[in-house]
Order: sequence, then structure tokens, then C-alpha cells
Amino acid sequence: MPEILVFATLNGLVTGLLLFMLASGLTLIFSMMGVLNFAHASFYMLGAYFAYSISLHFGYWTGLIFAPVIVGIIGALVERYGLRRVHQHGHVAELVFTFGLAFLIEEVVQFFWGPDTKNYQTPELLNFPLFTLFGQEFSAYRGFMLAISIGIFIGLYQVLTRSRVGLIIQAAITHPHMVANLGHNVPLIFTAVFGVGTALAGLAGVIAGPVLTTYPGMALVLGSIVFVVVVIGGLGSLPGALLASLLIGLLQSYAIAVDVGMPELLAVFGLEFPRDHPLDDLWTLNLTRIAPILPFLLLVLVLIFRPTGLMGKREQ
Amino acid sequence: MTALSTKSATTSAAKSAAKSGVWIGYLAVLFLLPQVFDSILAISIFNQMAIAIVFALSYNMLLGQGGMLSFGHAVYFGLGGFLAVHALLLMESGSVYFPIALIPLIGGLTGLLAGIFIGSFSTRKAGTVFAMISLGIGELVAASSLIFTGFFGGEAGVSGDRTFGPPLFGMDFFSDTDVYYLAAFWVFISTVFMYLFTKTPAGRMANAVRDNPERAEFIGYNPRWVRLISFCAAGCFAGVAGGLFALNYEFLTDENLNLVTSGRVLLMAYIGGLGFFIGPIIGAVILTLMNFLLSNYTELYLLYLGILFLLTVLFLPQGFAGFIMMHQAAWLRGKLHTLVLPYLATGLPALLFILCAIGLLELAHASGAELHYLGLRLARDSLPTWAGLIVLAGLCCWLTVKSTPRLRRAWEAAQ
Amino acid sequence: MSILSLRGLRKNFGATEIIRGIDLDIEPGEKHAIIGPNGAGKSTLFHLISGKYAPTSGSMAFKGRPIENLPPHRIHRLGIARSFQVTNIFPRLSVLENIRCALLRPSGYGYSFWHLLDRERGLNEETGRVLERIGLAERAKIPAGEIAYSEQRALELGMAIAGGAELILLDEPVAGMSHSEAGNAVDLIRKVTEGKTLIMVEHDMNIVFDLADRISVLVYGELIACGAPAEIRANPQVQEAYLGEAQGNA
Repeated sequence: MPEILVFATLNGLVTGLLLFMLASGLTLIFSMMGVLNFAHASFYMLGAYFAYSISLHFGYWTGLIFAPVIVGIIGALVERYGLRRVHQHGHVAELVFTFGLAFLIEEVVQFFWGPDTKNYQTPELLNFPLFTLFGQEFSAYRGFMLAISIGIFIGLYQVLTRSRVGLIIQAAITHPHMVANLGHNVPLIFTAVFGVGTALAGLAGVIAGPVLTTYPGMALVLGSIVFVVVVIGGLGSLPGALLASLLIGLLQSYAIAVDVGMPELLAVFGLEFPRDHPLDDLWTLNLTRIAPILPFLLLVLVLIFRPTGLMGKREQ
Repeated sequence: MTALSTKSATTSAAKSAAKSGVWIGYLAVLFLLPQVFDSILAISIFNQMAIAIVFALSYNMLLGQGGMLSFGHAVYFGLGGFLAVHALLLMESGSVYFPIALIPLIGGLTGLLAGIFIGSFSTRKAGTVFAMISLGIGELVAASSLIFTGFFGGEAGVSGDRTFGPPLFGMDFFSDTDVYYLAAFWVFISTVFMYLFTKTPAGRMANAVRDNPERAEFIGYNPRWVRLISFCAAGCFAGVAGGLFALNYEFLTDENLNLVTSGRVLLMAYIGGLGFFIGPIIGAVILTLMNFLLSNYTELYLLYLGILFLLTVLFLPQGFAGFIMMHQAAWLRGKLHTLVLPYLATGLPALLFILCAIGLLELAHASGAELHYLGLRLARDSLPTWAGLIVLAGLCCWLTVKSTPRLRRAWEAAQ
Repeated sequence: MSILSLRGLRKNFGATEIIRGIDLDIEPGEKHAIIGPNGAGKSTLFHLISGKYAPTSGSMAFKGRPIENLPPHRIHRLGIARSFQVTNIFPRLSVLENIRCALLRPSGYGYSFWHLLDRERGLNEETGRVLERIGLAERAKIPAGEIAYSEQRALELGMAIAGGAELILLDEPVAGMSHSEAGNAVDLIRKVTEGKTLIMVEHDMNIVFDLADRISVLVYGELIACGAPAEIRANPQVQEAYLGEAQGNA
């Protein structure tokens, strides 16, 4: 049992921090522009694909550096020439635009890279077990993922709280008009934040691609979870996004690792149902099977009972 | 004063006559379509259109009329469909016996009940919060459908048989044509009711709440109730569409509940035009036709659909219906003909550009050495083919851009 | 019995006290004006009475019925209608639809989805009458977001008076109107509020002294005086706090 818990915790942390790399960009973009970027996970996917293509010719480490940059540039262009245009038609149009963008990026990826899974490999350098515990190995690459995520988190925190740009961004989140009147180029800041946010998503794609497999559906799978994270954390709250990322990451990890369910629960009460009962699906549920729906269940509950999310202040 | 009121009376009489004319025309088209195009393929397309029309119209009750952006409308469609298939199964096993024509009603009731339940907590806010709840519930239901395999059949889905019910007017529903007439009946009924809904106090207040929920409160309306009523009605008609789907395909899977279906209905309504009642109908017809015309010939169909959708959002926020209605002023002033030439001057190069671009994309994507495109045989590894297409595309693009100012001037002159 | 009575009404936003204990009784049929310098809390007071904000403490009663915990739509249904200082209409609906929407609840349609608006004769005639009254009959078909500012002000007023509520709250009804438009608006207000109770916030002293039977002076969230126009004019405290400042500004 302890080895299950330790590894579930470690894997949960890896997933959670990965989610946070996406959620942090999404949160920054939302709090500055009021746009919930539906296509955010698509940039994550682009990151993985670009890095895969680059790694074929120049190796993993070149991809790690250049793929996020390319994704960030694409993101900035999307903001400048797409989002800004639909902005005048209101939030619904913006949300619909990013939804359409997510749809389109998935098709574009299939156009260039095809519908099959890409053999995107972890670098040779990290192909060894970092440590072995209770006879189970924890790969060095997962350790590397953890390190990168923590590094990004610390870097983001430093930039936002210490640097001048960070202060302007924080001010622009709460008082965009005031900041514009103080002479700062708010549209440029918007474009930059969008670019950096998507670049972060791209970086997450680069490091997650080899582990979570690189295929055209990867954006959809992770995208809705990231949405769940930012909404549960509280739209626009970075600490909330971190908390929710770790919560969801650990929750899913434990749910898969700990195989208990209704049969065990019913056994506690001394109940047992025959296999051919019409509600058999219900009586045989276990945590592993419902793991995929846990985040959404949590999302709906949070939105019903605490529409502002765990640490959010505003509702819209 | 009397003269004035007589005049307004005659115009309103003329208007109501024109309106009933439109409805009779709609009914006639619905009825005559399978007589004119009677191939099996055509009938199957009409059936898809019928389902899409009801579904897209129901979606627009939410987004276009109520300002609620939903990413989970397929839930009501799918649940209605699954209940309808189970009704067919019950009929097959002989436990119940009722007219097949009422199957869409079962779907509608299911959608309505689901709408009441889910709407009771999700319509408190519009905007982003509503959109997120709808997404969460959509994913929740879709994922649950794979867990509760007893009811939803898991990955394999559930199938039924529509031919066990009593015959209706000599129709036993073996053929798709029988299903079409039944679907056409339900499409007409649903369209009428959804149209009339927009003319009721609840329907009008849905527009008011969409525009300004705060003000609605100060004229005595709780925005949450107004939204809930639209939400339930939308759920009900989505369920009807699901029931029609069940009758037509006799088969439902988890895909009918998930984000793919929810996204498709959003695309239909948006491309057709949210601001107009007829918009979703246009969108449903266009997308169904596109789906049929393109998906058999190209693997890139979804790519084109995505591009079309994004272009619509960027340049035609009112959709196709909005584009048509933009010409109303020019038409009323009798100046529509002045736009024909400028439209041709811009439209023809634009069309050619689109064809070249599609040609290039297809060429790049083609698997064989040759691509059959518009009666031409394009060789994949011939440089002149590529260069020719690119040059032609560039030329057409240039012509289009050059001619737009003229179109704009003509347009402004016609207003 | 007074139609509206406020007792010890307070409203804080965080640590800031905007309304600091107001006691006020409005008699049925009274035309009551609330004046005071900018930031005195006049609009906040309206938001409290109409239910947009909940009071921090104190009580409000309309015809003897407590309303301090009711949401805006419930308060409206009891018979209190209001206009807004910043034009607050349904921009994408036509002028006619705006008025018709404002008439729906008072005409008893509720959330009906079984009546067809165009067939409801009484409702449409009443809509026409209101449109005639506010002088927008010619503009009935135009989206409300596209008409001129002064016309939107007239529409705002029309939506407040349309349902024939017993108590009407008008927040700066003539703000931004030209002199002649304001004159028309005053005539209109006088006409449509006949037999009704009116509370208005207004900066234009001519209009206030012209329309009001009684005036309350609100300064920094407190009522410093309340009485007939002549008394208010003579009150030295008011002179100092409000009229003096206004004269000083002019």
C-alpha cells in the first residue's frame, strides 16, 4: 500500500504541475482579456508536434527550446489578427472563435502530421530510472518534468511579483483602463501575455508529448481538464489554478491507483447484489472506472455551490 | 387618421398573408422534396437535414435568442435519442405498443425533463459560467455513458428496430421515405412551435434578458426563470431531434452525446446566423449538404469546415442569414442590381482563389501520383503544376483585394 | 399611512458608509424630490429601494410590507418602477418591444409562453399609447440602441412609467436633455404621475421646485432636511451644504 501511495502522489504531482503550466497561461489570459481561450490546449498539442518534428532533425533539446517559441509567435499572431477582431462582438463571439480555432488546429495538425500517433521519444540522456523504491522505478524523465514545471512556477511567480512588467500585468488584470491611461500599451501587453501563455502551453506539450503520447486527440483530452482546473480554482486566480491543478492531478492519480468501489462500500454494509441486477453498472462501479469523470463532477459541484471557484473573486 | 389606419390595416393584412405564404411554401417544400429527388441517397440526406434543422433551431433558442452559449447541447439530443431507442426496444419485446409516429415525442419529453433538471442549477448566470457548466455537464454525461453500459451500450451503442410498431397511413417505416414524411411532419410542427415561442412573452423576455439581464429585473422578471424556460424548451426540441435521429438510424452511440455533436450544432447555428430565426435552418441545410458533397470526395472535409467556421466568425458574425439580410436595404430601394457587377468582379476571382487553394491543399495531401481535380489531372511531382496553381492563386487573391474597394463603394451607394 | 417608509437605513461598501441611517416617510400621491451634492448617496438610495442592493441594516416597507430582503423583480411586482441615471434599455430590441416588455408584467402576462404578443390587443394598444405619450411613436420599429440619446432618455422614462406602478422612482430623468426637451419631459412626468407617488433625484433646481411637493436633502448619506420647497429654500443648513455650494460653483 505505501508504495502505491508514494507513486500515486509523485505521478499526481507530475500531472498536476503539468496542468498548472497550461492553467497558468489560461488564467493570465482570462484575467487580462476576459477571454477563456478554448484553444489553449491546442497550442499545447502544437508544442508537442513542433518539438517532435524538430527532434527528428536536431534532437530533443533543440525542440525543447524552439518549439515553445514558435508556438508563442503563433499565439501572438492569433491574438493580434483574430481575437482582437472578434473582441468587438463580445465575449460569446470570442469564446466561439477560440472554439473554432481549437477545431481548426486539430484538423491542421492532421493535415501536416497525419492522424496516427507520433513516435516522439524521451531523450537518451534521461532514459534511466531516477530512483527505485519498493521495487518500482521512477524514471528520470518524470523527474525532469517535475523540475521544469517547478522551475516555470517559480519563474512565473518571480516575474509577476518582482518585475516591472509583472506589476503592470497585475495592475492590468484589475484595472485595465487605468493602466491604459497611465500610458502603458495595453493591447501590446495583451498580445505579449497571449504569446507567453501559449508558449507555456507549448512547453508543456514539448515535455508531455513523449509521456502522454503525441496524437491529434491530445488537445481535446487535456483541454477540457485544464478548463475544469481554471474554473474550479476560480477564474482569474493564479493560486487557485495551482491548487486546483494539484487537486485534480492527485485526485485522478489516486483514483486510478486505489482500486476500491461500490462492491467494497456495499460489503461494509453487508450488502450484495446479484450480477444480473438491472442496476448492475451502478453496484459494480469502482474508482478506477469513474476516474475520467471525477474532474467534471467536481466542476459541476463547484459551479453549483461556489460559482466563483475555490479562490476566485469575480464571477464573470 | 382613418386613411392612415386603413393603410396600416391593409399592410398588416398583406404582411400576415405573406407570412402564411411562407409557411405554406415551407410545408410544400418539405412535402415535395422527396417527390422531386427520390433517390435513396437524396432521401437519406433529407432525413439528415430534417434532424439537423430541428436540432439547430433548438440550439438557437439558447444562443441566438437567449444569449446562452452551450457546449453541451448534445446531452438533450442524445438522451432523447437513447430513450427513443429504448422505447423501440420495448416495443420490439412486446412490452408496450404505441404509434411509431410518437417516438420523437418520447425524445422531446426526455429532453424536457433533462432540461428542467440541469437548467434548474445551470441557468443562474449566462456568459462564461453558463458555458463552463454546460461543458462540464456535457463531458460528465458523455463520460458516464461509457460507464453505464447497461443503458448506453458503451462503445458499441444501442440499436433498435423501427418496424415493430403499428403501421400509420399504410406506412410501416421499412423505407427511409416513410421516415422522411414522419420527420418532415415533426420538423414542420417543431419549426412552427419554436417560431411561435419567439412571439410569446417568455420568448421576447428571453431576448430582453440576453441584451440586459439587469434591466429585465426592474421590469419585474427574474432572469433565471426567463433563461430556464428557454433552456427547457431548447432541451425539449433537441430531444425531438434526438428521437428523429433514433428513428432514422435506429442506432445511438456515445458520440451522439458528446462534445463533437455539441460542437457541430454550434457550427450549424453560427454559420447559418444566430440573429435570425431562419439562420439555423440555412446552416443545417448548408452543413448537411457540404458534409455529403465533400466528405465523400476529400479527407480534408473537416479542415475546410473549420476554415469556413473561423472565417464566418471573423467576417460574417451574423452568419449567412445576416449576409442575406444585409441586402434588404438595397433591395427595398430597388438598387440591388447595381451590386451585381461589383459582386461578380470580386466574387469570381475570390471563387477561383478558393478553388486554387483547395487544389493546392489536396495536391499536398494526395496519396497517389495524380490528383483528379475539377476534371483536371494534376501530377504531384510536377513543378509547373505547383507553380501554376500558386501563381494563379496569387493573381486571383490580388484581383479580389483590388476589386473590394469598388464593391464597398457600390455597397455604400446602394444603402 | 405612508406608502413607503424607510427606518434606520444603512448601506456600507466595505468600510465606506454610503447611506448612514435614513428615516423617511413618503405619503401616497406625493411628489418627492431628493437633492444633494454629488456623491451624497442619492443613486445608492434608489438602488436600495428598488432592490439592486440589499441594505446593510435598517428596514424598508412599501404599503406596510417589508421589502428590504426582496430581489428587484419582486419589488417591481409590488408596484415600484424605476428609471436609471445611465440609460439602461434593451439595445437590440425595437423601441416598441422595449415598451411592450415593460408592460408585460404589469399586464399580468408573467412568463407566459402561450400568449402571442401580436394578438394581444389591449397590450398593443397600451404600448401605442405609451409610445405616443413619450413621443416615440414614429421611431417604434427602430432598435433602441440606434436612436438618439435624448430619445433613449425618453424611452427610459417610458419604461419606468409604462406599467402604471403606484410608486415611480426617477433617477435624473432629464439629465443630458436640452432645455426644451427637459420642459417636455417635465410636462410628461407631471401628466403620467398624476395620482401616483413619485420620488425623483434631480440636479436641475428649477425642475425640482417646479415638480416637487416635498424635498429631502441628502448630504454624505444623511438627510439633513426634509420639507416643502419653501422651507427647504429657507433652511440655512441646506443653504450652506447644498445651495451655497451650487451657487459657489456657478
